[in-house]
Amino acid sequence: MYDGSTAPARGAGRALGALAILASFGLVFAACGTNNKNNNGSAGAGASAVQAPAVSAAASVGGTLTVWAMGNEGVELKKVADAFMKDNPGTTVNVTPVDWGQAVAKLQTAIAGHQTPDVSQMGTDMMGQFAATGALEPVPANFQKDAFFESAWNTNIVNGTVSGVRWYVETRLLYYRKDIAEKAGITNPPATWDDLEAAAKVMKDKGGAKWGIALGTKNWQEYLPFLWSNGGAIPEGQGKFTLNSPQAVEALTVYQSFFKDGLTPKSVPEGFDITPAFVSGTHPMFFSGPWHIGLLDKAGGADFASKWALAPIPKKVSSTSFVGGGNLVVYKDSKNKDLAWKFVQYLTDPKTQVGWYNQVTDLPAVTAAWDDPKLKDDKNVAMFGEQLKSTKAQPAIPTWSEVSTAINDALEKMTTRSLDPQAAADQMQKAAESIGMGS
Amino acid sequence: MTVPALAQRGVRAEPAKTVSSATGPSLREDLVGWAFAAPFVILFGLFLAFPIVASLLLSFTSFGLSDLQNPIGATFVGLDNYAKLLGDKTFWTALFNTFYFVVVGVPVTLAIGLVIASALDRGVRRFRTAFRVGYYLPVITSIVAIAVVWRFLLNPDVGLVNLVLGAVGIKGPAWLADPVLAMPSIIAMAVWRNLGFAMVVFLAGMQSIPTQLYEAASIDGAGRWQAFRHVTIPMLRPTILFMTVITTIGYLQLFEEPFVMTGGGPLDKTLSVTMYMYQQGFTFFHQGYASALAYVLFLIVAIVAFFQFKFLRSDDA
Repeated sequence: MYDGSTAPARGAGRALGALAILASFGLVFAACGTNNKNNNGSAGAGASAVQAPAVSAAASVGGTLTVWAMGNEGVELKKVADAFMKDNPGTTVNVTPVDWGQAVAKLQTAIAGHQTPDVSQMGTDMMGQFAATGALEPVPANFQKDAFFESAWNTNIVNGTVSGVRWYVETRLLYYRKDIAEKAGITNPPATWDDLEAAAKVMKDKGGAKWGIALGTKNWQEYLPFLWSNGGAIPEGQGKFTLNSPQAVEALTVYQSFFKDGLTPKSVPEGFDITPAFVSGTHPMFFSGPWHIGLLDKAGGADFASKWALAPIPKKVSSTSFVGGGNLVVYKDSKNKDLAWKFVQYLTDPKTQVGWYNQVTDLPAVTAAWDDPKLKDDKNVAMFGEQLKSTKAQPAIPTWSEVSTAINDALEKMTTRSLDPQAAADQMQKAAESIGMGS
Repeated sequence: MTVPALAQRGVRAEPAKTVSSATGPSLREDLVGWAFAAPFVILFGLFLAFPIVASLLLSFTSFGLSDLQNPIGATFVGLDNYAKLLGDKTFWTALFNTFYFVVVGVPVTLAIGLVIASALDRGVRRFRTAFRVGYYLPVITSIVAIAVVWRFLLNPDVGLVNLVLGAVGIKGPAWLADPVLAMPSIIAMAVWRNLGFAMVVFLAGMQSIPTQLYEAASIDGAGRWQAFRHVTIPMLRPTILFMTVITTIGYLQLFEEPFVMTGGGPLDKTLSVTMYMYQQGFTFFHQGYASALAYVLFLIVAIVAFFQFKFLRSDDA
């Protein structure tokens, strides 16, 4: 249900490493929140979103926090919380792991009963919904937009208020089989839409692969990069839906062509796993996030790493990928907001972000963390970092789960039932308009 | 009303304790009775009666995300949710799918259950218990586990079903991903899972049919089939009625199978009313609308059960 946030379990947590002790934490909080209050409802580009005044948390802030985190993060966060407690005597941070499958229902119940944790992780596609409950505390001015990837920061702006802080990011790249491509006579990674189509064709015809590429029949996350790279929009902030723009129709036409030309299967079984299919070579290309690096290493063995490579999202007008990941939010019902924000600040400190990457391979949302050699010198990871500079996300509107379902429905009709791209675009637009933006 | 009644009972109970049970319980016995019933009554009230009433009220509101922390403030919209439902294409699709599942699934489940029960009753003598356990096991196995396993079995590329078909030269279809075959695949699984319960109930019913009836029938020259047709079936009518109603009510609430196996797809072909209700209530958080859906489903179940009783009963008379 929450494809954006339920990334498969990443590589097992490595040792936390030498997590530097941040003794002078209080200094970071000395920020002043003067000019962050220029109130303006329209936050399309996130230029002037509302933030709360900076919290003036002294270094001595103490007390107890309850933190809910999901999936693998929920299991691993305890180690970071321990380090935080060591740096901040007198504080207790209790981490409760929550299963992704129950996360939404559990949080909704907690909010309805005013029994929320102080801090929780939140999938980026859940932000619109949960901000609409009115249970999230606006983010104080201690957190600066410039420190984060811009598109990642913007997913936290709901109705003009910054309601969450980005914790980690993920984006999608093209995974392709270098050996099959070379066999088919392709030496350069597919850089444009035309390249991608040509590569899919020859890898199937001459490379010996069963298919050319694996594309989702009903997956908005795979379609949107095509839309964005063609100059189209959903849009990403407030405004009017533009899902049937000429750019969208063109993107849909190209997306559909892979299905029409038999380059990708029209019927994908529920629970299909791309990893073994890519390793065996039946599906020589697919789009996915950073977690697939580890999965491929595991499934393909030692010598498989030389057989595949990463490429940016193929370019049309631009090369724009989807940015997902996880946020941190603080709840209005929290009894200890100062400490809650201090913990969030700790988690988004560049040093903690690097340590967190080493521990669970979650990519840092804070750009400064990318200067670390660990990230900079890994060719594959660095490529994700590069793509992150050109990404967009779904709009943070309460109705997104409905709109995305409508997009998926139209996509499915187009990919499996040969619905005309223009008709599919019109269907998306009509459905989205009747659902509305929820505010 | 209670005060004079209780006083009366108290007075009566005093002189003749031995007859108190014949004339009605004493106050003390009343209290003891309530105390024993209390755990059930409290749980029933808290987790069943209250939600039933609350969701009826919810169905007249536009209860959504922003009302979560202040439920009393939800906007009253009268019958708007119900009116909207009538014009909701997805609802009609879900209703059609649900009826497809019931209309095909219930008779098939009961028919196969009946056949197996009578085989175990009249034919198979050895290993009867083993068969009974075997057929009943799926009923008590977690539905989610079963659905996951069936999803593997029906996988078009590596599933056992298509491997077997492939071995005899048939290229198996993509069962669950095929819009035409998805619902029949789910029905097949539901039948397999539920026929054990039908079998056990039918078998119990059959074993309570007096053997004299079969003896009389065989003296009259009735064969196996005629005995089944003219003795077993009429004698089993109340059991069949019971099973039809129970199975129909259960099947009308189809949820876990498509939820795990298909997610309602492909193209909404396996989306059931309950799944749509879940989607509206917990994914989109239109709790008012979802409550209206729940009450419409309740109404449908009540109507269907009413007619089943009426028709199957009148046949009996």
